[in-house]
Amino acid sequence: MENIIEVKALAKVFANQTALESVDFCVKKGEIFGFLGPSGSGKTTTIKILTGQLNPTNGEATVFGEPVSNLKKSSFRKRFGVLTDNSGLYGRLSIYDNLKLYCDLYDVPLSKINEVLDGVNLIAEKSKKVSLLSKGMTQRVVLARALLHEPELLFLDEPTSALDPVNTRHIYEGLRALNAKGTTIFLSTHDMHEAETLCDRIAFLDKGKIQLLDTPKKLKRNYSDSTITVELINDEKVVLPAGTEGAEQLFELMKDNQVVTVHSNEPTLGDIFVQVTGRKLA
Amino acid sequence: MTFSMKRVHAIFQKDLKDFSRNMAVSSIIFMPLILAAFYSRMGMDSIDAHYTIINMTFGMVATFVQCCLIAEEKEKNTLRGLMLSPATTSEILGGKSLLSFVLTIIIIFFSAFLVEYKPANIGVVAIAIVLSSFFYIGMGTLLGLLTKSVMEASFFVMPVIIVFSFGSFVMGFVDQYPILKVANYLPNIQLIDLATKVEVGAGFGDVLSNLGIIAAWVVVIFALTVVVYRKRMVD
Repeated sequence: MENIIEVKALAKVFANQTALESVDFCVKKGEIFGFLGPSGSGKTTTIKILTGQLNPTNGEATVFGEPVSNLKKSSFRKRFGVLTDNSGLYGRLSIYDNLKLYCDLYDVPLSKINEVLDGVNLIAEKSKKVSLLSKGMTQRVVLARALLHEPELLFLDEPTSALDPVNTRHIYEGLRALNAKGTTIFLSTHDMHEAETLCDRIAFLDKGKIQLLDTPKKLKRNYSDSTITVELINDEKVVLPAGTEGAEQLFELMKDNQVVTVHSNEPTLGDIFVQVTGRKLA
Repeated sequence: MTFSMKRVHAIFQKDLKDFSRNMAVSSIIFMPLILAAFYSRMGMDSIDAHYTIINMTFGMVATFVQCCLIAEEKEKNTLRGLMLSPATTSEILGGKSLLSFVLTIIIIFFSAFLVEYKPANIGVVAIAIVLSSFFYIGMGTLLGLLTKSVMEASFFVMPVIIVFSFGSFVMGFVDQYPILKVANYLPNIQLIDLATKVEVGAGFGDVLSNLGIIAAWVVVIFALTVVVYRKRMVD
């Protein structure tokens, strides 16, 4: 599959602080790529470099096969969208007026506004002034704006950080629908559940480097301790090893009608991150 | 390089709506009109009096309003949104300048009407006023890009407004302080000089040097603005 982003030995140093030491990864066209790391690990710095908002100190980064310096060209800007934690909305204007501006800038028909507002569950609020919206609603407007022109590549920086579970689910459905239409999504988050729910592949960023990169399934399999937990009718929990020995023990318990539930002991992505980096995602 | 009037118009429309709801900044545009009404009642009809109002309009509307519009875009992080859109530098700067330009021309028109200023050669004066407004808008844009917030911009723009709006007053001290002759090259002084020549019958050819000096200021300020804008595109 074609790579839409390629990053080689990318480094960024601010004054005397190293934000990125040497980062290598690629994002395949059409995938949802999760970029995970604790606060301050360099996720936003990477997005800024990949969208031409920041120059790297060292290394190479290409988007759509072009060096990131070319992304400043108007023709490339139509091809990607960015959602960052800074809202960048006009507070005195309504939601509709904010989106109308971007429809005109991206040559998108105004009819698209209702479509994206429906997608983020804000259609009834479109005449409301942005300054009167809650943080969660503002975040949804920013997302709606990023979706307006159906970009080929969408960068999302903590897209659901201020949202309640209902709206988070709405956003997930919207992102999946967008991805199904062919948009590649670069999702920066420290929410493990979000990454596991949405992403095809995940990269763990820590100490300015990619520590792990794989599909959530493979990561879990690789870091699994190959045991199962059996819950018995007397509320006791028994951990059994995988393989013949464990199977025989489970068979005996089942034969005696002792088993209530059986769970495979897969680590969570959070567990894997702690195991690899020795620190928590927060 | 493409230039889309649709994008320029979109930014202008957005600015117009936003500006009309921003009383703190929009109320400023009435100051030159109040001064014009005051001068009219006082019967002050000299070229210096007319151009005090016109230069004040440049300072308060073209520079101050423009500076606040740009500084607010920076402060609220909306300028970055525009920069990341397909709009080009010229479309963004053009769109962001259009409101200040239209307001400046309207206020100058009504101020001139109030003080009953009728230039002997309206064509030449109109060219000079349009050219001067480009300079003052460029100055506002530059200051807006250099400051971090509307508050900071309002503070830094004041000395500029004073120098360029009331700079003609320093000419009275040139005999005492010959160094002040440098002020002769300020665009506001050049504009007054041009208007004075026009009133005694000068045509386009007679004021080319005045127009040339104002145009040079425009070129310098726009070059600086574009350089600073491009730097602001990258953190």
